[in-house]
Order: sequence, then C-alpha cells, then structure tokens
Amino acid sequence: MKKRDVFTTIAAVLILLMGGCSMIEEGAGKLSDVVGKADSAVQTAKTIRRTFGDISEEEEYYIGRSVAALVLSRYPASQNESLNTYLNTVGQAVAYYSDRPETYAGYHFLLLDTDEVNALSAPGGFIFITKGLLKRCRNEEMLGCILAHEIGHVTSKHGLRAIKNSRLIEAFQLLGESALEKYGSGELNSLVNIFDGALNDITEKLIEKGYDRKYEYEADALAVLYAARIGYDPQGLTDFLQTMVKDEGTGPGWFSTHPAASDRIKRAEGTIRSLASRPAEEAARTNRFAQAVRGLK
Amino acid sequence: MPSILTQFRASLSLLLKYRALWYIYGGCRPRDIQEVLMKKRRAFLPFVFLLIALVSVLLAETLVIQIQKTAVRKEPKFYAATLAEVKSGDTVEKLEDQDGWFKVKTAGGIVGWIHSSAATPKKVRLKALDNALRTDASAAEVTLAGKGFNKQVEEGYRAKNPELNFTLVEKMLKYRLSPSEIEAFLKRGKLGEFGRPQ
Repeated sequence: MKKRDVFTTIAAVLILLMGGCSMIEEGAGKLSDVVGKADSAVQTAKTIRRTFGDISEEEEYYIGRSVAALVLSRYPASQNESLNTYLNTVGQAVAYYSDRPETYAGYHFLLLDTDEVNALSAPGGFIFITKGLLKRCRNEEMLGCILAHEIGHVTSKHGLRAIKNSRLIEAFQLLGESALEKYGSGELNSLVNIFDGALNDITEKLIEKGYDRKYEYEADALAVLYAARIGYDPQGLTDFLQTMVKDEGTGPGWFSTHPAASDRIKRAEGTIRSLASRPAEEAARTNRFAQAVRGLK
Repeated sequence: MPSILTQFRASLSLLLKYRALWYIYGGCRPRDIQEVLMKKRRAFLPFVFLLIALVSVLLAETLVIQIQKTAVRKEPKFYAATLAEVKSGDTVEKLEDQDGWFKVKTAGGIVGWIHSSAATPKKVRLKALDNALRTDASAAEVTLAGKGFNKQVEEGYRAKNPELNFTLVEKMLKYRLSPSEIEAFLKRGKLGEFGRPQ
C-alpha cells in the first residue's frame, strides 16, 4: 500500500468519525451549553428509544409522582411524623445497599393509614407501606426486608415494565418528531393521553391485579440480597411471609396482588441458603423498632 | 473545548505511533507476503478498527449525570465528605471504576466519587451506523432537549384530574435524611460496615 493511500485512509476515517458524530460532548462540562445540538438529539430520539428501558430517570420520576398521587387517592396517608421519619431512615439505609441507590429525586417512604395489609412501590422510588402491614412486623429485620422487597421492584423497574410497549413507542415517536422545547396544545394533549394510559397500566398491576409472579419472586430474591448486604437477617422476609400464610385469600391488597406466601417462603429460603453468611437479629435494632412503633393503633 | 483538542492530539500521536509500527511490521515481512498484502488493500482494515476502538474508548470516559443532583464525595461511600455537587445534565470525566462507584473529575476540576446509578456513559453516536448502534445516553439527550414526560405533561394530566392530591406527594418528597443521619443510624444499629463480622 502506498504511503499516500495510508494517509488518505486515515484522513477519510477521521473525517467520517469526527464529522459523523452527531453529538459529542467532551470532558467535564454542562450538556445544556450545547443547546444547538439538542435538535439533533431529538431527531435521533425517534429511532433510538424503543422500550421501558429507554425511559429517562426524569421521566420515571414524573411517572412515579403521578402513580404516587393515584395511590394516595385510594389510601389515607399517616400523619405520624416520627414513624414516617423512621420508615424513611430504614428505607434509605437499605437503598444505599441496593443496586440502585440513586434515583432522580431519591427514595421516599410513607405510611398509609389503613389496616389493609399492603406495600406498594411507584417508579422512581415512591414507596408505601400500610399500618396493617407494619403491625405484623415484630422487628426491624422484618421491616427492612419488606422495604428491601419494594426497593427491588424499583431497582428492576417493574412498574415501568407494566406500561404497554405500543404506548411507549407512540410517545417516543411523537417526541422524536418534534424539535420544539415546549409542546403545542395538540401535541401536549396526545402526550397527556399516553401518560394517562401508562399510569393506568401501572396502577392496574400495582393496586389491582399485582405484578407478574416472576417479578415478585425476583423482588424477594433482591430483598434477601439487599438485607444481607446491609446486615439485616434476611429471615425477616420469611418471618413476615409466615404471618401471611394463615390469612391467605382472606382480603384485598397484598392477598390479591401477591403470589401465595407459602410458595414465596420456599423460594426465599432457597435464596437465603445460597448466601455465604447470614446476619443475625440485633437487640439494638429490635429495641429501636419497638420504640418507633409504640402506640401504633 | 480544551478537552476535545487534548483527546484529538492524543489520538493523532497514537496513530503516528501505530503507523510507525505498521511500517516496521511491513518491512519485516518476506517480499512475496508484502506483495500479497499490498494487493489486498483490505489490509488497512486494522487501521479502521483501531481508530473506531480508539475514539470509542476515549469518548466512553465521559458520563452524564441523570439524577436531579448528587454529591461528588471524598471516598466511595454515601456518607463520605462532599467535595462538590453535580446536577442533571452535567458531564463529568470518569477516571476509575470501583465496586459500583466511579471516580470522576468535574467541570471545575474537582476529583471525587459518585455512585454509578447517578450517571450514564456518554457514548459517541455515528450517523452512518445509527441503526446498528444504540447509545445509553439517548434518554439523557431527550431530557436535555426538554422533551419526554415532564412537568408540562404532569400539569396537563393534573388539569384533567383535579381530584388527585399532589400536595401529599410533595410532602412525601420532603422526607429526606442526610447521609450523616443514615451513618449514625447504621452505627447505632450495627449495620453495614459498622456491623458484626459475619
């Protein structure tokens, strides 16, 4: 090969690479400084975003906010500030040891003032547990494991997976076709309708029918893993599930949206056995749990 | 843009180095093989792959912050001292990867740690290969462009559903524990690194 040809090739490849890059941000800086390049990002969005995994952190946060509002339209929120702070402390601590400790606006936990036994997690990290469920917990290990299970749903984006893909594709196409920063009224209306549909998809699974069994088993396995990582006895999960066995099929909420507790116990025990070591219950934690839930009616 | 120039210069110097190796390699081959190689111009393909690999590697070192805000910490743990704060859309240079944490350098030149879940790699996208290559940064780009399910869409949804109580959602968002409060909680409960050896 002639020397000149080698140089021509190198030059051509360099031009192709550097000129062909539709958006290259170099080094540390601020992406929004390159507003002019935003159009090309939007142009390509229609060919790039295809599934729930392409939903941005910020979009997940906005979906989660509305799902949380829908949950709170069905259940009353507890006004017990100290108990809510305790829930947030345990939950945040567990989240640190999860696979996704950072979400767009962080994890937030709220006690629902109902005797129904249930725990729900909205995308982005809005997590709810009911008073009825908390009353069944005897120690912080059990509470930590329940919250770890809900964090597992957020980590694996089970809520977002519930959105029908046809809806997402419609949204991504609509978003990809526009280069405007603000939506026009027709466009906004279409997007709000898609958003509404996506929220229905999620709440239908979350509140009414329940996630697919495989997602519940996955969240259980993650709960065991996260509990072991932070140092809670993962048997807290099976201890809690044990309290559910005798009441199986007797009520709304958890009973109608989760697979049989006995089946889950069997699987969770298998995951616990696979751990290299298992943390034990700690008196200091059990005492502070008793202190926190004292007076819970 | 000093960074792009630095990386471009680095790419060129590596290219020149490999060009030299190419000549040494070519010079050592028996004449007949050399002739075959010369005839087969596809032999320059390694250069193409080298260049693509080089540019990809260089650009993969840039990360985009995808969460509202996070601290750049002194050590790879949540309750380590905060050195700086970065927010959604900021880019940082990735220097090191350790157990789910990235050592990064901010625009201001501060070096510290962020958790990997706070950022996504900013990869180069080639128009010519756009259909073949997917980029992890696409969602971040759409956010940057002000698109997607955002505040404006939520406002439209709320206008249609005035019965929904977003005040409670805002209240829920106010429950926020500082890393030092979590550290104290872990210590008192003998959890995490403060726990008993198992």
